[in-house]
Amino acid sequence: MSRGEEQEDARGPGAGGEPEERPRRRFELDDRGFNEVPAKYRKFYRRPEGPGDKLGPNEVLCPVCKVIVRSPRELREGDRIYCMACMTRLRVTRVGDGLEARPEY
Amino acid sequence: MAETVEDVHQLDPLELWEHARSFEFWFGSVQGYLEGSSYGRHPEVPEKVTDPGERDRLVTALCNYCVGETIALEGAGALIRVAPNRPSKVFLATQTVDEGRHLEVLVHRLLELGVRDPEAEIERRASPGLREFQRRHQELVRGEDWEAALFAQNVILEAMEFSVFHRHAQLADPRTREVLLGIVKDERRHIGFGENELGRLLTRHPAVRERLARVRRELDPLVMRSFEEAMRELGAPEAERSDLARSYLQAVERLGFA
Repeated sequence: MSRGEEQEDARGPGAGGEPEERPRRRFELDDRGFNEVPAKYRKFYRRPEGPGDKLGPNEVLCPVCKVIVRSPRELREGDRIYCMACMTRLRVTRVGDGLEARPEY
Repeated sequence: MAETVEDVHQLDPLELWEHARSFEFWFGSVQGYLEGSSYGRHPEVPEKVTDPGERDRLVTALCNYCVGETIALEGAGALIRVAPNRPSKVFLATQTVDEGRHLEVLVHRLLELGVRDPEAEIERRASPGLREFQRRHQELVRGEDWEAALFAQNVILEAMEFSVFHRHAQLADPRTREVLLGIVKDERRHIGFGENELGRLLTRHPAVRERLARVRRELDPLVMRSFEEAMRELGAPEAERSDLARSYLQAVERLGFA
């Protein structure tokens, strides 16, 4: 889970590219010990922490290398994010009640 | 690049694409997990392998990992010449360094376990399937077949190594575990590079897909069988062994080979 939720932000598209009315929550990212990318990028990633580990609204699993990608703002369908651990550009999609990331080559 | 990044996901994609393939990026990445280590682990980690049977099974697994790393070392180095652009050539140079390091730390682990002649031991214990994969991969590399060689190496071989090393690390003694987990961290970059390069190529040239599908049908059973044998030797439960290929199968499905 991400800690440090601090403010709201209405930027970015919602599902289907339409703006969502509800503002996005923003998150203060802390360093969670992910040491596989240069120091300036580390806070944007963390490792899965076992079966009880639930993804926060600003987090999604990289399907290529299984690292959790974190964003300083709440993620929504259509967002583009980067997994620097495996150098993959990802598109956030909605699957059921949750969000998944899919590579965009 | 600035030293602080407010939001990595808002950076320019082209700038990131090239930066992530650079030695500058590679240095910053490996520094995080290799600094202070010696032969892939911290020097104070104790030796816990004392049972002769456990030692013998571990030596067999490590010998086969050495074959896999040799395939990747020779392949990554040779493919620099045929890579289609400068960032890919530079990335393959970093991968060549990674693969050389993997081979070195695995051989060092064999020496720690009392293997006197690692080359002879690797030759004696190497799986025939992995040797056949090596022979076919060398043909693809010598034929300068960029797409097929990259697919065989960075998708089939690296994805299987990623899964097997990760699982083996969970079962392994502390020294072997640390060595394997360090390798897995490098493998993330390699599998990502392979999938992304091929994904872009297949989007632009879909006709390549059928040729790569033939390569897959020929080569992936060789690697799967070899690593499944290795995991059986290490005592992984049957259900888990069949699960080993999942990460690899997901990758080929994303590339459209399902």
